[in-house]
Amino acid sequence: MTVAITRTKAEQGLSQNFEAAAAQLPGGPAVAAARRAAIGAFAALGLPHRRLEAWKYTDLRSALKDAPPPAVGEPRALPKSTELEAVLEALAEVAAHRLVFIDGVYAPGLSHAAAPAGVRFTPLAAGLRTGQAEASQALLATGEREAVIALNTAFMTDGALLDVAPGRALDKPLLLVFLRRSAEARLITTRNHINIGAGSRVTLIEAHLSLPGAAAGQSNTLSELRLEADAQLSHVKVTLGGRGESHVSTGLPRVGAGATYRAFQFTAGTGLVRNGIGLTFDGEGGKADVSGCFLGRGSEHIDSTLVIDHAVAGCESRELFKGVLADKARGVFQGKVIVRPDAQKTDGKQMAQVLMLSEDAEFDSKPELEINADDVVCGHGSTSAEIDKDLLFYFRARGIAAEEARALLIESFIGEAIDKVEEAVRPALMALARARLAQLTS
Amino acid sequence: MLEIRNLRVKLTDEDKLILDGVSLEVPKGQVHAIMGPNGSGKSTLAYVLSGRDGYQVTDGSIRWNGEDLLTMEPDQRAAKGVFLAFQYPMEIPGVATMTFLRTAVNSVRKRQGEKEFTTPEFLKRARAEATRLGMAEDMLRRPLNVGFSGGEKKRMEILQMAMLEPTLCVMDETDSGLDIDAVRVVSEGVNRLRSKDRAMLIITHYQRLLNYIIPDRVHVMAGGKIQKSGGKELALELEKSGYAEFKSRAA
Repeated sequence: MTVAITRTKAEQGLSQNFEAAAAQLPGGPAVAAARRAAIGAFAALGLPHRRLEAWKYTDLRSALKDAPPPAVGEPRALPKSTELEAVLEALAEVAAHRLVFIDGVYAPGLSHAAAPAGVRFTPLAAGLRTGQAEASQALLATGEREAVIALNTAFMTDGALLDVAPGRALDKPLLLVFLRRSAEARLITTRNHINIGAGSRVTLIEAHLSLPGAAAGQSNTLSELRLEADAQLSHVKVTLGGRGESHVSTGLPRVGAGATYRAFQFTAGTGLVRNGIGLTFDGEGGKADVSGCFLGRGSEHIDSTLVIDHAVAGCESRELFKGVLADKARGVFQGKVIVRPDAQKTDGKQMAQVLMLSEDAEFDSKPELEINADDVVCGHGSTSAEIDKDLLFYFRARGIAAEEARALLIESFIGEAIDKVEEAVRPALMALARARLAQLTS
Repeated sequence: MLEIRNLRVKLTDEDKLILDGVSLEVPKGQVHAIMGPNGSGKSTLAYVLSGRDGYQVTDGSIRWNGEDLLTMEPDQRAAKGVFLAFQYPMEIPGVATMTFLRTAVNSVRKRQGEKEFTTPEFLKRARAEATRLGMAEDMLRRPLNVGFSGGEKKRMEILQMAMLEPTLCVMDETDSGLDIDAVRVVSEGVNRLRSKDRAMLIITHYQRLLNYIIPDRVHVMAGGKIQKSGGKELALELEKSGYAEFKSRAA
């Protein structure tokens, strides 16, 4: 029996856009074959929709009305470095090794030339062309069950292949800047593959931004992260895409024995955001902290969906998400913790808290524990509240005007999450957050 | 001078009067104590003075230096020199004590037409005051009141009072939950602030605090009314006889 599947305009557009752009997408025959398989998988799956549990609150099939053509080829002209500094805002102050991508293409002219000692960087496009990237099975994953991964494989134009040698402690963060510039609506598809060698310590900042004058579009980004034994990776993702932007992100960290992965997602001022993380503990004694802060206004929609897979024993996971929602903004938190039968001594805790500044805002929270071992400590919680009147009174009784008191209280609320970010990056994040909070409460 | 006339107050969403005709005058330069059993309306008086939501004044007036306090927002009252030391100071995770203090002090100074303190000026003052109150300097960097002991929170209230330099200090059960050493330190902090330009109203259940902060007048409150007023010896009488007499009188 065949079932007639009606494809939406966006779904049809994605398939057609692939045919039109396939010849320009980087990579040899093996890559081209993987792309074609992926778009085939996508054609069968369609865009994720609300009847899929993981996409219950973020129905891309109805949210994405059209399919802008992919950004392919070199950008015609690079932005000035002053424009780059301006759009980075407080992130420009962070002393970091910068790698900049404009409309999904590596821009060496805006990037720092020599990679830090112990770090090998290859732009993904170059890796795909030379065949270097083909060595990684994961890079050519078709995403047979995940439409957004399939789309990423089909359309990926560039990204960072980073390999950090074992036993290195990088003295500066690596900053990946993904900048939208095109004056026409475009789909930007980027992919990173990052390997942190045994015992190495790295801070990675990933910023998704739009230059003034860029047309709103869609972006799909995927990061595969591998932490070898005892490696430490602090991974800060900043998404400030622009009001009309739809941004879908997939993070796939694998955490080795004794390794520590600390992720922080800061999201604001973006029309629709899906931040998906699927984390797997590969070796015993691993630790993960996946936290974040999201600020929504207007009709913005911000979805943080995490699956933490305690596949082995003795690992610890922590999640703390804090959101502030104004107007008709909607926040989504889905946190699933899977504890496999052998994963004894698992310690998993998650918390999602939202401050509602408007009665029309919405927060959907779905923590999920799937525990198949008996000697574990797991917990979850979720709250949504308005600004505490008693606290507000305390501030005002000390002479602080209501508006300023509210701003300080909101700042303190998200500050608890931002405190998780390491010191080198924290002030920049707090500054980014403050600027957005001022818009939220104005 | 603080002038409270025939003040009647109820909770916004209940009918029962909590303050049932309170009249009281505290001239500048004086310290008055209000003593009374639990539920007598003492804390309500403190909250109404500072402008907390949830209370409705059905009758009477509160004037401070001739100005009507009841029409002012809490932050406006603070700018007029009104300060309430809370019985249960609140914990504010995520706001460093120093940030809170500096914002408060500079807000008040700005409204009073005074120059705001620069950060170094402010730090110097705050550190000096913290040292006088026997507080570790790192407390100023920590989030306000988070993880502080009961005694530390009360010291922090006195520190805030010293930094804000209010002219009307209302202290709500400042001695509750304090051991004897902490009572002494906190009382010394309060006594340092006694001055001819400042009126103080000390609300307490027990006489103990008044061994350290000697009041000019003592008022006994029960059933939402001032039942008796006298000199500092009234506190000692109450310590012996208890509140039974006043409770029955109020009932």
